[in-house]
Amino acid sequence: MFTKLHAATWGEVGKAKEKGLFDFDLFSWMAWTWQTATFFIFIALCIIVMLIWEKKAPGGSPRKGILGLDTTRGDRLFVSLLGSAFIHLAWLGLVGSLLWIASIICVAYFIVVFKYV
Amino acid sequence: MNKTLNQKAWLFVIPVFVLVAFNAAIPLMTVVNYSFQETFGSNVFAWEGTRWFKEILHSERFHASLGRQVIFTFIILLIQLPLGIGIALSMPKKGWGVPVCLILMSMPLLIPWNVVGAMWNIFALPEIGFLGNSLNSIGFDYNFTQQSGDAWFTTILMDVWHWTSLVVLLSYAGLNSIQPAYYQAAEIDGASRWDIFRYIELPKMKKVLTLAILLRFMDSFMIYTEPFVLTGGGPGNATNFLSLDLVKMALGQFDLGPAAAMSLIYFLIVLLICWIFYTIMMKDEGRT
Repeated sequence: MFTKLHAATWGEVGKAKEKGLFDFDLFSWMAWTWQTATFFIFIALCIIVMLIWEKKAPGGSPRKGILGLDTTRGDRLFVSLLGSAFIHLAWLGLVGSLLWIASIICVAYFIVVFKYV
Repeated sequence: MNKTLNQKAWLFVIPVFVLVAFNAAIPLMTVVNYSFQETFGSNVFAWEGTRWFKEILHSERFHASLGRQVIFTFIILLIQLPLGIGIALSMPKKGWGVPVCLILMSMPLLIPWNVVGAMWNIFALPEIGFLGNSLNSIGFDYNFTQQSGDAWFTTILMDVWHWTSLVVLLSYAGLNSIQPAYYQAAEIDGASRWDIFRYIELPKMKKVLTLAILLRFMDSFMIYTEPFVLTGGGPGNATNFLSLDLVKMALGQFDLGPAAAMSLIYFLIVLLICWIFYTIMMKDEGRT
């Protein structure tokens, strides 16, 4: 009986739902948008690039960077991604608009981290 | 030497991948998706962009609960670390006292969070609870359900009771791993008790203490069940910590978008601090 209560829009409340081939619950529940999907594809691409890089030059190129920390390539990716998240948040909190400028700052930040940290 | 390349081990990792995907990756991705949208249920979503993030970053309510959370965690660390080290130092090193102390110390750790909250709730009730009644009968005006200072006092006392043992057990393990030769050398040099602590025991405990700080930080920063059962965030908003506030927003008000944005900011803060601790812990390890 509860399946009948499940609706995709307000107009369909109370009507029985017909399911299409790709209309499985996992997907609609996760509420995907192309923007967030792009973000996760970017993260996945980063990991794939790291895998290929590791195949080409194994060992992770460890070094002691300007912060005095022993970092490998993976550490540098993590620091870049975490730092980028905070740069975006700081931009949203302090400036609020033109978020793409924060993204450009993040690209510069990525390069600095991979070169020096 | 030519090693044969055998990738069969990956097969055995698949169950873990599936498990992590279902209990961590997929929910986290969903939270990211929700944080950019508005929903009224029934799987209908509307794109909102970065609105919720801006709202949360400028929200008085978020600042207040984050502030309360930081103060709570700071007080917890300030009390539990010295207390835990002190108890570990005064515990017996051999004899029948060792198992007795260890069992007594591990008992609070074995009690489920909600039971701890319920226990302390009854224990601290001003009329019938042992703690509340005793405090009132010796002249204190104590009522944790109405006075925010008392609510804080009770919550902190409860957490100290529940979790100091963890610091004690870690410090005790650290102390026991120090070779007797260090103490003998200190005795020959005529070192005082303080010197022994400052120059032998404390440096030798550095690693376990960093671990203790990390564990206590994470647990107290993400505390939910105990204050939920004890005070429910009250009186008013006095003990409304970050995770309590988050659940109120997500499930109480069904504001899934703002709650998702808030939990992502919360997650990033925890991630940053854990990374800092991890880096400090690994700094002298020569890991790379």
